[in-house]
Amino acid sequence: MRHRVAVTGMGVVSPIGRTCAEFRDALFAARSGIGPITTFDPATLPTRIAAEVKWDGDVMRDRKISFALDAARQAMADATSGGTRPSGDGGLSLGLGLELFSMDDLAAKRRGERAPETIAERLLYLQTPSDLCVSMLAGRFELRAPPITHVSACAAGTDAIGSAFRMIASGRRRWMMAGGADSMINPLGVAGFCSIGATSTANADPPRASRPFDRQRSGFVLGEGAGMLILERLEDAHARRADVHAEIAGYGASFDAHGISEPHPDGRGAYQAMARALQDAGVDADRIDCINAHGTATPKNDPVETLAIKRLCAARAYRIPVCATKSMIGHLIAAAGAVEAIAAIAGMKAGVAHPTINLEYPDPACDLDYVPRTARTHPQRFVLSNSFAFGGQNASLVLRRADG
Amino acid sequence: MTIGPSTPGERALPDVAVTGMGAVCGACDAGPHLRFRKLRKFMGKQDVLALVAAARAVQAAGLEAPLGERCGLYAAVGYIPFATDDINRLLDASLDREQFSMTRFAANAFGAINPLLTFRVLPNMPAFHVSLNFDIQGPYAVSYPGIGQFYSVLEEAIAALESRIIDVALVGAVADQRNFLVEHHFSRMTPPVEPERLEDAAAFLVLERRVEAIGRGATLRARLLEYRLEYSAVEPFAGRAPSECFARDGVCVPAFRELGPVSLGLALTESARGRVTHRARSRDGFTADSTWEVA
Repeated sequence: MRHRVAVTGMGVVSPIGRTCAEFRDALFAARSGIGPITTFDPATLPTRIAAEVKWDGDVMRDRKISFALDAARQAMADATSGGTRPSGDGGLSLGLGLELFSMDDLAAKRRGERAPETIAERLLYLQTPSDLCVSMLAGRFELRAPPITHVSACAAGTDAIGSAFRMIASGRRRWMMAGGADSMINPLGVAGFCSIGATSTANADPPRASRPFDRQRSGFVLGEGAGMLILERLEDAHARRADVHAEIAGYGASFDAHGISEPHPDGRGAYQAMARALQDAGVDADRIDCINAHGTATPKNDPVETLAIKRLCAARAYRIPVCATKSMIGHLIAAAGAVEAIAAIAGMKAGVAHPTINLEYPDPACDLDYVPRTARTHPQRFVLSNSFAFGGQNASLVLRRADG
Repeated sequence: MTIGPSTPGERALPDVAVTGMGAVCGACDAGPHLRFRKLRKFMGKQDVLALVAAARAVQAAGLEAPLGERCGLYAAVGYIPFATDDINRLLDASLDREQFSMTRFAANAFGAINPLLTFRVLPNMPAFHVSLNFDIQGPYAVSYPGIGQFYSVLEEAIAALESRIIDVALVGAVADQRNFLVEHHFSRMTPPVEPERLEDAAAFLVLERRVEAIGRGATLRARLLEYRLEYSAVEPFAGRAPSECFARDGVCVPAFRELGPVSLGLALTESARGRVTHRARSRDGFTADSTWEVA
């Protein structure tokens, strides 16, 4: 028996809002979260802009852990707002970014300074293991079923949700916390992306720097944040009278088996991920009402994703709104898929397709309806959400409106 | 999570067989297994280990590239490696009066290294290189960093086979541990792990539905008899010691070698015929055991 899977809790920490309501309102208002980097001095790096989370409280040295804990807190509060917790033992499926590495600590080590002695300080010294986040989340939210981490780079957040969906649908787990957290806005992270020419260098006008599907796009803008969802069996959600935001209806993943940093030129892997997600959901492509695109604003991704969507949806591709959340929040890497799934659900609930901002100059290779510049009223029953990673890992989700 | 002999209320034993096993410890050469030699310079040690172990497993299963859309890849990767030479080159170019200088880093350091070489340490790159060289286009799960996560991806692979999303699962683990960064990580454990206990290793298994494996004439090399995975969140670095062991014929031998996510795959590959039990209690809160019949 396959169980239907409900989303009953959502939490988000993003560059344009630290609650789901703030995030949704900013998306619909076409607000950019991109500005000069403030978390460190980017000096003369080619890219000196990013989409940072505006955080006014204490934050751990590895920011993604703080973001994950706060997004999880929101999601659990949302899921339990009716006074009951999901039934049975919960698990965790988490998309994680890279370990944080400190060049300052490395220099101190070279100078012969002693390493810190307390356990807490030692944990964060030189390198912070990302799985710290798993222990902290599982401990704090009493998640007793075995967790799974996903390190499939830019696809990790979507893979985490997809994996949790499969576990619940197949009866292997009763409920799951699923999502992703990342922050690569640090010297090594920003420099690494600069060095492969992946990030935009439009430092003079940050809000206009992230330009998915626009002819003048010049690379992505790094973002940071976390998105967490609570997933449970639909019948369990109904039994405890929880509010259901949406359903996860299908998940598909694929390898490009092509290049380290460039997608397959025919969009083969992207197409396969989307087609498999539809097949898993038992939904034909002609029932998809909106697509939350990976839409990085890199020269190679956007036309290839466009090509894959056309292959999937044929002539109808031109009539489906395709939204690029990254135009406003940048690329959250391992958190991107989770935060963008929340954006897609927010749009589905409100009947609004959020805009792709900064789409001013059409690119002949990107000729779909990307909802340029302003949000649009658009009822949606089924939505596709895409994430494609460096290294050719592709993941797609089919989301279904709660009353769909 | 238990997959074991069928009892009322429990799931039936998955009818899945291991048709290929391959492992490697220490230095090895990916050369004979590369379809795209120009990418060799972008392969880190973990990528080479993974590719060689996967190649041995695929060959043992009587399969070859392209493995295509009906093959999935499920892998657990150890902590992120960083070689001393690479990190020292970055630091040397970034220092100003013994302090890290962002200005010098931006001006000198980040341009001093071939940009694509940074890909050599990323945890999803072993999966990339294996998928590329065997043309695997199916689904995947890539997890991190220990044996508990290997059991998690094993569970994902078995579930994908049972639900017929795939026909072949390449399930593996890789750990590049003899390097500056991973040795640093294990040195701060309570108790610390000496570098000489850390091993570089990779192991892959080819899993198929048993009936279909027999149908194509594959040799059945092992069968999963029982599987249990439990978890209890631990306070990070509270001092929980690992108690990993490898048991055969009921005799449990504590593991001296720190193999990270690789220990189960390596145990199976190194074992002789008979019933093999692998038990692990990991630092990060997993209790896992599995029993296998090795042919």
